[in-house]
Amino acid sequence: MLVGKLGVVCAALLEIESIGKTFGATTVLAPTSLRVEEGSFVSIVGPSGCGKSTLFNIVAGLLSPDAGGEVTVSGTSILGRSGHVGYMLQKDLLVPWRTVEDNITMVARLTRRVTEEDRREAREIATRYGLGEFLSHYPKALSGGMRQRVAFMRTLVAHQPLLLLDEPFGALDAQTRLEMQSWLLDVWRETGRTVLFVTHDVDESIFLSDRIVVMSPRPGRVVADLTNPLARPRTLDILTDPRFIEMKSTILHLLHSRENS
Amino acid sequence: MKKVLRSVLVPLISIGLVGLIWQLVVVGFHVQSYVAPKPLDAVNAVFSNWGILWPLVLGTIRETVYGFLVGAVLGVVLGVVMAKIEIIRRLLYPLLVLSQAVPIIALASPLVLILGFSVAPKIVIVAWIVFFPVTVNVVDGLTHVDQDLLNLARVYGASSWRTFTQIELPAVSTPLFSGLKIGATYAVGGAIIAELVGSTGSSLAYYQEHASSNLQTAAVYGTTLVMTVIGIGWFLLVAGLEILLTPWQRRTTARRRRVASPSGSH
Repeated sequence: MLVGKLGVVCAALLEIESIGKTFGATTVLAPTSLRVEEGSFVSIVGPSGCGKSTLFNIVAGLLSPDAGGEVTVSGTSILGRSGHVGYMLQKDLLVPWRTVEDNITMVARLTRRVTEEDRREAREIATRYGLGEFLSHYPKALSGGMRQRVAFMRTLVAHQPLLLLDEPFGALDAQTRLEMQSWLLDVWRETGRTVLFVTHDVDESIFLSDRIVVMSPRPGRVVADLTNPLARPRTLDILTDPRFIEMKSTILHLLHSRENS
Repeated sequence: MKKVLRSVLVPLISIGLVGLIWQLVVVGFHVQSYVAPKPLDAVNAVFSNWGILWPLVLGTIRETVYGFLVGAVLGVVLGVVMAKIEIIRRLLYPLLVLSQAVPIIALASPLVLILGFSVAPKIVIVAWIVFFPVTVNVVDGLTHVDQDLLNLARVYGASSWRTFTQIELPAVSTPLFSGLKIGATYAVGGAIIAELVGSTGSSLAYYQEHASSNLQTAAVYGTTLVMTVIGIGWFLLVAGLEILLTPWQRRTTARRRRVASPSGSH
């Protein structure tokens, strides 16, 4: 148990205990432990090949780890079990044959019958976040940023308390990425979800997160778990805040010194 | 409206051009009428014998449509089974290629011996031709569905049936229709070959043979035109079905659903 910002005791929503992954003779991920408190935003940064996506896929239930580890959400083991996290990648994974509305309700469609309540919720969330006019559009009519918004709405209406986001804005141009980051913070604040965010963009990780977990290249392991001192709500102004710069240099140093060793 | 005009007018112009070249060649080189008629004479031969031709045309259409449907269903089922079960894919792929290496005409005779002079061997021949491009395209499409999309379904705990109906099947629609359109183009050819080998008198192919041996050249060419029109018509029907069933290929928005729609997933 940790004591949160307001002195409230925060339970860990996600607990990862000595999770490692070996493919043949190659250790991709050294046994790693990590806890993510309910309602917090935690980023994992690291160079490519540091095992962050491997860790991500294990938590998502797509990959089974080496024996001996454990992953729990709200105290329940989710190892090798699906249906316990929200999931979003760099690719929007919208299906071209469904409209925006039907793409938002895709998770319901994949698991059960889509109800009128599902549709109402999809319309509501799309309208609230500025895509109400596009409900009956097919994804191909949307820009990259809009498509990622729809993908995130699909993730939200899956109603999982824990959201796994793997470089969701990695394919967007710099301008759109900044807009999307601000938007994500707004939505995160309003919906109170817990986010585990994977990125290789240091600025992005500082701008968004409460904590930044720095990982080393293969075999991937956690080299630092930093608490972000920057207050919320955050605006783009903090990109030039001295504490932001300091944080950035710390992380870059950690990443860089690792590369050299 | 302009778009419709263009998509109808342009093909008509190109068909008209072919007719014009035909006319010029026949007139310009003084081709004898028993070798090749003028295009309008060929068309005329069709209309003046329409009473005899019509039931034969219906017969060919029936063989084509039934054979196509059997071939398409067989092609999809075989494609799905082969895509899903690797050992079956390995077992059947060589046989699949083998089936198409056999000359169709060489296949027709034994089939007529087995099935008789009924409509059955014609349907089998057409289905034989149609299933192949369908199966190959379905196998290809299903084995190339975006793995990340399948992972997304897995993460959310989708059953394999729902993953199949909601992701894999719609994802395969484009290659499926490519296969169906190829099949539609060849289907009439198969029906005609089957008629040639296995009919006792009342068929389009037999009618043409008969006209040919009587030096009714205009009727021979006219029958070819009729066969071609059946082929084009069937292709257009399948292509139209694709447009109808895959609106996302052409449109940017779906027609708005009724707000109180009671339908669930489908």
